[in-house]
Amino acid sequence: MNRLCLCISSQTPLVRFNLSYEDLVQKYRALDQPVDLSRLVEGEDYEFTAGGVTRMVFPLLKRMLQEGRIVNPHWISLNPTGPEKVTTAGITLDHVQLERNKLKGYGYAKETMWKALHGIQKGIEPVYSLLWQDEFVDYTYYNRLCSELAMQLDRKNDFDLFYVNDFQQLPMAHMLHTLKPKIFRWHIPFDESLIPEMWKQSLASYFNAYDVVIMSCKRYLKSLKRFGYKGKAHHIYPYIEQDIYKKPSQREVEEFNYKFGIREDDRVVLVVARLDPMKGQDRAIKGFAKVVKNFPDARLVVAGNGSFSSSKRGIGLSKAERWLAKLHELVKTLEAEDRVIFTGHLTHKELQAAYERCEVTVLPSVLEGFGLVVIESWLYKKPAIVSSMAGVAELVKHEENGLLFNPDDPDDLAKKLSAVLSNQSLASALGENGFKTSRQCFIERGMKAEAQVMLDLVGRPANRRKVFG
Amino acid sequence: MIPYDVLYKIAIFAVIVVVTAVLAKIFSLLIKGMFRTWAPVVRTHTQRLVSISIWILGLIFAIEQLGLRTDLFLLILGLLGIGALLAVKDTLENIGAKYFSDVYVPFKVGDIINVRNSSGKVIEINPITTVLLTDDKKLISVPNSVFVKEKVVNMTPHVWKEILVPITIRSDVDLPRFESEVLKACNKMRRYLDDRFPPVLTVKGRGKKYVDLVLALMVKAPSKKNEIISNVNQKISEIEGKMMRGKRKRRK
Repeated sequence: MNRLCLCISSQTPLVRFNLSYEDLVQKYRALDQPVDLSRLVEGEDYEFTAGGVTRMVFPLLKRMLQEGRIVNPHWISLNPTGPEKVTTAGITLDHVQLERNKLKGYGYAKETMWKALHGIQKGIEPVYSLLWQDEFVDYTYYNRLCSELAMQLDRKNDFDLFYVNDFQQLPMAHMLHTLKPKIFRWHIPFDESLIPEMWKQSLASYFNAYDVVIMSCKRYLKSLKRFGYKGKAHHIYPYIEQDIYKKPSQREVEEFNYKFGIREDDRVVLVVARLDPMKGQDRAIKGFAKVVKNFPDARLVVAGNGSFSSSKRGIGLSKAERWLAKLHELVKTLEAEDRVIFTGHLTHKELQAAYERCEVTVLPSVLEGFGLVVIESWLYKKPAIVSSMAGVAELVKHEENGLLFNPDDPDDLAKKLSAVLSNQSLASALGENGFKTSRQCFIERGMKAEAQVMLDLVGRPANRRKVFG
Repeated sequence: MIPYDVLYKIAIFAVIVVVTAVLAKIFSLLIKGMFRTWAPVVRTHTQRLVSISIWILGLIFAIEQLGLRTDLFLLILGLLGIGALLAVKDTLENIGAKYFSDVYVPFKVGDIINVRNSSGKVIEINPITTVLLTDDKKLISVPNSVFVKEKVVNMTPHVWKEILVPITIRSDVDLPRFESEVLKACNKMRRYLDDRFPPVLTVKGRGKKYVDLVLALMVKAPSKKNEIISNVNQKISEIEGKMMRGKRKRRK
């Protein structure tokens, strides 16, 4: 074998199914597992999950397969509905299913962890003692299911490498009873000072079970080392498949305007993020409300819906709906109902039109692992105003390729918005320079860095020289 | 045509084999029930040992019923056994010590220990020796028998808090579910355990029939260690029994 046999694992699945396997069998009469995704209808039977899994992990695997770097990859993920095994683009998707009560407990535990790691609910008892609660046992149960499946697949496929994604699956390496190399990619923010004291020993032992940890930016990498991780660690900026972002036609932009009631002379300020308090849409609305008097044609377009966790076909947490209701209330309080548009989920074509149509984009996150939407915005040469608390802020040189702002200060955002909306040459320069910077997050670069990490781990035996060149 | 007395002997032989199988099973279950508080790994091995002994006795008795002589065979087997035991006495001593140290000697791979004036990190425990890596990168091989005869000092931080419970479960037991039940049972003992170290179950080995696990707990006070171990072992037996009963019910 001269290519790597890879087992990847992420909580979020590549596709969400609208129908159960039984319903799919009924619809198509015969449908053996693994189900070939190309036999199903996108939008009707399934949808690709929004976010990093589809934008980053999937293209990475496809590229690596095309270039002959990997062979027969398996991708383990949580998928409460749909078939257990699916194939697409040469990748086998192995789905783990959890019973409703365990799914609820798992959802609670991982949400509590997520909040704690984002500095929310610091010092509160349920957070403090999470690791002793039954919900954490459900979190462990889910990870054990994934690990057992990975070991079972390993016996058949003899994997060269395990690649585990994000905090929901951190315990996996500790559970995988094999000496084979294990890589962990941490996607959310990492600040060792936010980790509850009582969790530190457990988290450290989970981290130290990996051979390599990859963080999204330098800041988080430094924090991981301060935390006491002893193994190899790297930072690789998240990346996107830039070629799929095409310039939309005039008609597509007009259709977008029509669908969301955007007038021809409106000056669009765009926020693209899933609906979540951490994404800071409220900060964007507050900052925007302060500039509307000076820019009567400005309109804020808030695009995005809930994540896999908050979807009914996912973990079923209702935080996106609650957050949207709060945002509507805020808009009403600020008397900006006619100035703010909530689009919900955008298709890829609509997203392209949104970027093309806008004048400036804002990433208002309170805390953000990275912020690939800034890179998307740069691909359309749009100026980006970026929260200083986002990982991508590391790539922003203030007033050169973007503007940084403090997400806790609406006046600061208002100032930066006014600067861009009132100075066309500044806006163009920021967009042009941003476009140049975006190359740092192109998939070729990301794949090269990922392959190098894998190469360092698995070694370069004679039979792999061809693969890694 | 087979003579009647031969048929009779074969029938007696078959009955004894069946009775032996039943007795082996009954004793195995009795041991399981009576020694719930023992370390599961010791209990499993005792069950196997008693079962094998019953089978040997039963088979010898059954063979005798066929009219075959077993005394000479037994004498030769015994002499060979004694000879073999004497020949590999030291090795057996080390293997035996390894078996007992697995359960009762408080160190594991990764710990820093001192034994016979040698200190180092334990990097390997094989059936014969335990290998230590010293600070100046030298390897010291210590025969396992030393650990049951001499004083061993474990210098690893927090090690006095640590309880390692070896568990052996059948490979057809649903591991994720078993782990959940064990962790929930341990969580109920939280007031005796160190808050910073929740219970952790680790897979140590996988065979076709059995999976070897280790449950790691950290106690608050060393005086409670024995009580906790006994409680945990009892809980594990109950959980295993409950899961096996559930499995049999589902099969029916």
